[in-house]
Amino acid sequence: MSESVKLDRDEVLKIARLARLELDDAEVALFQDRLGRVLEYVRELNQVKTEKGASVKHVPRDAVSIREDRAIEFVDREALLSNAPAQIEDHFLVPTVIEQS
Amino acid sequence: MQLREFTIERVLAGYRKQEFSPVELATAYLDVIEKQNERLGAFLQVDRDLVLAQATALDARKQEVNKLPLFGVPIAIKDNFLVKDWQATAASKILKGYKSPYTATCVEKLESAGALIIGKTNLDEFAMGSSTENSAYFPAKNPWDTSRVTGGSSGGSASAVAAALAVGSLGSDTGGSIRQPASLCGIVGLKPTYGRISRYGIIAFASSLDQVGPFGRSVQDVASLLEVISGYDRNDATSSRAIVPHYSDHLKGASLKNVRIGIAKDWLEGIDDEVRKSFDEAVKLMVKEGAKVVEISLPHSRYALSTYYIIAPCEASSNLARYDGIHSGFRADGVTDLDSVYFKSRGKGFGAEVKLRIMLGTYALSAGYYDAFYGKANEVRKLIQQDFLTAYESCDCIVMPTSPSTAFKFGEKSADPIKMYTSDICTLPVSLAGLPALSVPSGLDSQGLPIGLQFIGKHFEESHLLKVAHKYEQIRGEFPLPSGVDY
Repeated sequence: MSESVKLDRDEVLKIARLARLELDDAEVALFQDRLGRVLEYVRELNQVKTEKGASVKHVPRDAVSIREDRAIEFVDREALLSNAPAQIEDHFLVPTVIEQS
Repeated sequence: MQLREFTIERVLAGYRKQEFSPVELATAYLDVIEKQNERLGAFLQVDRDLVLAQATALDARKQEVNKLPLFGVPIAIKDNFLVKDWQATAASKILKGYKSPYTATCVEKLESAGALIIGKTNLDEFAMGSSTENSAYFPAKNPWDTSRVTGGSSGGSASAVAAALAVGSLGSDTGGSIRQPASLCGIVGLKPTYGRISRYGIIAFASSLDQVGPFGRSVQDVASLLEVISGYDRNDATSSRAIVPHYSDHLKGASLKNVRIGIAKDWLEGIDDEVRKSFDEAVKLMVKEGAKVVEISLPHSRYALSTYYIIAPCEASSNLARYDGIHSGFRADGVTDLDSVYFKSRGKGFGAEVKLRIMLGTYALSAGYYDAFYGKANEVRKLIQQDFLTAYESCDCIVMPTSPSTAFKFGEKSADPIKMYTSDICTLPVSLAGLPALSVPSGLDSQGLPIGLQFIGKHFEESHLLKVAHKYEQIRGEFPLPSGVDY
């Protein structure tokens, strides 16, 4: 972990860009403070002696994660599409992404 | 109808004796919810037509009351569960108006058992929070004192059961989101072993931690709900194939004789005096019944908060990447190109705490940081889990307070994220270890607010855990309801 956890404005904006979040100025200031506080706090983990690469087994010991690879048709296409903010026929509608030549 | 006295068994008995019909009971609950919800903010959606349609269908199947274990029992569902035809907003603006295209497996199981889905309950946005103040719509209020929080994130589900607006409810628990509100609202709430219940149809927050669980007024009711909703599901690869016992039958003849109760002394630091006193009294009661106290040590649990606040935000930043302003829910106005659809919709659609956690996760997972944050946190998580497994070599069950304090006032902790996060200090280690645990009310503090006692079991040994908690509940005696719940 980095030594300093004081985040400057540009760092917050960079993280927001990676996370695809538009922030206003007040939010940038708020997150400078809050991100800094949390990152400062979690630095304590550096003190803990751990085994490199160790992790808990998330999957219960008897659960077999492999099952028959069989496609199941989801019949209610309409229900899925109707939740989209904009749709046309059987498609999700978005602003133009390819410039016309 | 004395709704405040209704348990699952009482409702079934009422149907058998034809005291009321499903439509009559549903109507009684709908009327009370309509009157009380403005005061409590427990429900985000109550749809009279959807409820009465279910009740009418049950009316026509009256003879099945002896076959279906939850016939016509009103159950509330947290609004991050999908239930076909109902909304599922996860209390976020980004999912405003989202209508569930299918039903979560655990809710399907409830419906097959005859349950009546009475409404969708309030929560912290995307289950991120410990007070339900982060709901994008309105906060849920504690029925014991409406100037105080319910706890969270499943605050609406806890408030609804505590105020007798539903007989039982479902919540989700990622770091304490069932146990802590159960404690603050004076009811029973269980987080089962990770993998016990399918997560299919639950809006994902942190997938290696999220688990579904029931709320009820008694351990008996929680056991009855658990046996219905548990089990393997092909749609959730992490769901367990372990057989589902009849938990509620196993409660008969429960005893504390020679049960070895583990207590971690160092974990009791930082607990409020009155909570500590109630805990000590509860342990004394259990010892009187034949339980043996074993001192255990969970040295790495002191790092649970840091571990959790790396792992959960990392997983959340990935899970919440799907909210793009295209496939579902909200799209911001004034978008001109694809990037602005993403940036503006997510920027305006998510609340502050959700954005904070997405950014924490994004930062911790960004190039060059993965090993130092997510990798390191997973290594510490392993040590936290190992401490529990070692402790269980000398004890059968661990007890500790559920929450370091009773219900706090609105706004009291919302300005400082670390202060808020510490409300889950007693529940986080258990979540990281994937263990089952439940909160049972153990008393009231001097202000008349409920205190919760947490029982923690071994992986997939809910049956034993429920027995111990049930026996404790019996020796504790009747627990009061909040005043004002006298409809």
